[in-house]
Amino acid sequence: MSLQKPPNSIKIIAGNSHPRLAEQIAGYLNLQIADIHVIDFTNRESAVLVKESIRDEDVYIIQTGCGGPEKLNDHLMELLFMIHACKAASARKITAVVPNFPYARQDRKDKSRVAISAKLVANLLVTAGCHHVITMDLHASQIQGFFNIPVDNLYAEPEVLKYVKLKLGNRDIIMVSPDAGGAKRVASLSDKLDTPFALIHKERAKANEVSRMVLVGDVEGKVCVLIDDMADTCGTLCKASDLLLERGARSVIAIVTHGIFSGQGLARINQGSLEKIVCTNSMPLSSMAEACGKLEIIDISPTLAEAIRRLHNGESVSYLFNNAV
Amino acid sequence: MRDIIVFSGSSNPELTDRICRNLGLPPGKVELKKFANGETSVHFGDSVREKDVFIVQSGAGHVNDLFMQLLIMISACKMASAKKITVVCPLFFYSRQVESQASKRGVPRGAQHRGSKVPDSVPQSPKLPSRANVRDPSPKSVLSQRAVSTHSSLKTLHTNEASIANPTGYRSWIAQSGTLIANLLTSAGANHIITMDLHDAQFQGFFDIPVDNLLSKPLFQHYITNYVPNYKDCVIVSPDAGGAKRAAALADTLCMPFALIHKERRQKVDTAQAQSELMVHSNPSTSSLNSISFATPGFPGRRSPSSASNGHSAADQQYVATTMLVGDVQDKVCVVVDDLADTCNTITRAASLLKDQGAKYVYALITHGIFSGDAMRKLKESQIDKIITTNSVDQAAHVAELDAKEMVILDVSRILSEAIRRINNGESVSMLYDHGW
Repeated sequence: MSLQKPPNSIKIIAGNSHPRLAEQIAGYLNLQIADIHVIDFTNRESAVLVKESIRDEDVYIIQTGCGGPEKLNDHLMELLFMIHACKAASARKITAVVPNFPYARQDRKDKSRVAISAKLVANLLVTAGCHHVITMDLHASQIQGFFNIPVDNLYAEPEVLKYVKLKLGNRDIIMVSPDAGGAKRVASLSDKLDTPFALIHKERAKANEVSRMVLVGDVEGKVCVLIDDMADTCGTLCKASDLLLERGARSVIAIVTHGIFSGQGLARINQGSLEKIVCTNSMPLSSMAEACGKLEIIDISPTLAEAIRRLHNGESVSYLFNNAV
Repeated sequence: MRDIIVFSGSSNPELTDRICRNLGLPPGKVELKKFANGETSVHFGDSVREKDVFIVQSGAGHVNDLFMQLLIMISACKMASAKKITVVCPLFFYSRQVESQASKRGVPRGAQHRGSKVPDSVPQSPKLPSRANVRDPSPKSVLSQRAVSTHSSLKTLHTNEASIANPTGYRSWIAQSGTLIANLLTSAGANHIITMDLHDAQFQGFFDIPVDNLLSKPLFQHYITNYVPNYKDCVIVSPDAGGAKRAAALADTLCMPFALIHKERRQKVDTAQAQSELMVHSNPSTSSLNSISFATPGFPGRRSPSSASNGHSAADQQYVATTMLVGDVQDKVCVVVDDLADTCNTITRAASLLKDQGAKYVYALITHGIFSGDAMRKLKESQIDKIITTNSVDQAAHVAELDAKEMVILDVSRILSEAIRRINNGESVSMLYDHGW
């Protein structure tokens, strides 16, 4: 007779980066958030206070990469501390749920003597004791290969599809990719929606700065839907929108997965020519973003919650790649 | 010097400049910046291929940010084919492990005292965002809640922990991060660590790579013999039992008398005892039989339960803080020695106790002056006459703030640069432990 491990349950731990998302996920799963917190001290060190037993449980730590220059690294270190604390607390399995993976854009050596920070972060997570990572719309899906643990890269695409069908279905739309890197993502969407597809090619002089843009495709008289994985300083989106309107587009809507909106991002959106911008709640929104009239939110917490449920029960996650929850 | 290059993180570039000047090298060119979204980026301007790389970064300031920067720098060096990567960390990151929320590593944010002149010794638990706060959509409310958390609300939490919050009887604990920090550095690619006056000597055991723990003792020895008048008549004092060994070693070398301040937290038995929270043993030989109850109003360690509890006296019943001075300091000059001063609770309290016991003059010798929170204010108001610390942490801001009181900054760069030179040349480092620079 073989000894089977007793069944265990899911524990959701909320980091300080996005407690609201953790609440929503826990709410969807009908769970309480575990009583484990990150506290910070006046000397700016952090520590994890464990007030609840998680021995032999499946632990899911919700922490997204956000916070800007002041908090981003704090949140990443907090995640590492939480993973380590769970390991010390004898959790059976530790999964980091990181909707927006930090340092995802530093994924290659674009010049000599720089770090591949995405690889570093992957190593750090594994070193801390992480067994599994759930993320969403990785900037480059190759980052999955940086890990030697399983990574589930979920897609916001089903939710985006649902949104487009519901809200924009009756308009004459064309899907536009603001750069060559996102062409595949956009082509897949336009195939599923049976809409035409255009592409903007851009030449970069420096990081975060766009120099020249070329439009490939015809957008005359159409409602353009710009699709991207993230909106950071929004320079690309605003320039793309200007270009599309210049070429005769009726209006421009942007749909992005991660609304980072750092620096002048929101000010640019407010003043720019975009009709509206739609992003998911993978990032917490600043009060400024909440006040932005052009911003609409897609809730992706059901997708994340369903992924957690499926992972815990040992079911396939691939259903979520094509179906909205 | 062969194949050596020294880079500076953004924590303490001045120290790196001094180290490089001692070594006769220009500091390595490195561009440290952040992208708009807050991600740190590092680009080295000098080649590190097949070189012995030293990265100087001290663990005070925006700790997590500096630590990530350090990891990224190490990783970039490793990817750029450096032969060996040595981290020079005078004050080590997260070197103080907390055993409980009664933290020595600063006060939890927002838990600073207002009103009371000198803080008391009862440990504080941090104000955590309650469930209601977490559910609140605006993150601001959580922040403001934290900011206003006062002493009394912390007390409530302390009670809650024991009774309400843990109906299961689970005893809450704080995870220790030492192993994690060591593993992260190793996994990023560090091959060697140089640090100074490590708070826990056991920390070295967390690493699988060599750790050289340098000592500031020779530096302090030099200061005492040269700048403290009639130092043979002075008393070396350790402000807590943890630092006794360090202070005693210094006293032994200099043939100076030694005293110790012992702090105890005992379970409170009844309220009558609360009135005599602080007991001072004036003479070690008399032991506790002759202990005199100390009742000077406004004495730092003393805190009457009624004034501080604000209606949460239940929490106050838990512990008594007893502070004892072992040794004689009457009409003596005292030199308080500690490795680390963060909130400065320990040393300011020690200084008051010494003055109350008749000390004439109090020096405070501290290796790493972090001085977080309202530490500078406490120092200004404290009984300490002279503060001596080192530039292991950038002290420019602290010196500027401390106008009335004298602050002396000793230079550790010569010890560090000599260690770097010796490690690079493959010479022994152990002579630095005794002779110093």
